[in-house]
Amino acid sequence: MSDDLETRLTRALRPVAPSEEFSARLLARVGAEARLATPVLPLRRRRPAAAWWWSAGLAASLLLAVGIRHRAAESQERRAGLEARQQVFAALALTNQKVDLAVRTVRAESSDAP
Amino acid sequence: MNGDEQFARARAGDTAALVALIREHQRSVYSIALRMLGSREAAEDLTQEVFMQLGAKIGSIASKEHLRFWLRQVTANRAIDQLRHAARFPMQPLCEESPLFGDGEEADPLLQRHLRGLLAELSAPARAVLVLRYQEDLDPVDIARALEMPINTVKSHLKRSLESLRTRCGKTTV
Repeated sequence: MSDDLETRLTRALRPVAPSEEFSARLLARVGAEARLATPVLPLRRRRPAAAWWWSAGLAASLLLAVGIRHRAAESQERRAGLEARQQVFAALALTNQKVDLAVRTVRAESSDAP
Repeated sequence: MNGDEQFARARAGDTAALVALIREHQRSVYSIALRMLGSREAAEDLTQEVFMQLGAKIGSIASKEHLRFWLRQVTANRAIDQLRHAARFPMQPLCEESPLFGDGEEADPLLQRHLRGLLAELSAPARAVLVLRYQEDLDPVDIARALEMPINTVKSHLKRSLESLRTRCGKTTV
């Protein structure tokens, strides 16, 4: 008897579908609300904030390294230029001394002559 | 797309996946509401409320199984609240043509109709227990969790409701 009653209850309480019209309205409304309320996330994983910081740090380091290298090259060039200039001045001074000596020798020889 | 993936996408905000989930569960939610409230209009209102709440809360639902449980729990408890506190949803006698219960293909439609009428006379919690037991096929432990009742109260509702139905069915038709 009990089993019979429970079987009848199960049959009597079988799920029923809502009307098509209601179902369509419900789906449209929930869909519209969800679109308004929740931004759809892309399916691929979003890059976490830490990764952005790492990328920015790496880029800054690279820029810094390039700048330092450029500056060092400039400095070395300037030093080489100064050295060359000093060598030119030394050579000029030496030449000047030689010329001066030659002039003095010629003059001395001229004054000694009868 | 399998169920888990669909659930994960709905949780991540994919509207199409959410709509598919609702399509999958609307029959169960609507039927609980209908059997509890006894009116198609009230059942549609409650079904809509439950799914709107789902749209807002889906982020806090952990899994497909949790979703199924959550839908039954929210629907049954909201229906009990409405029956207890609102005169807006009086139980309506089921008319002969009403398709609210079953589809009329049973051998004894008169007995089924009588059973449904008797069910509608039970208290809201007792009705919820029977609907979750015989429509949703939940065991007493899950019914107790869903309705936040002690397990002994659930068993007591089941026992007394079945006895009452059996007695009253016996008086009239059996």
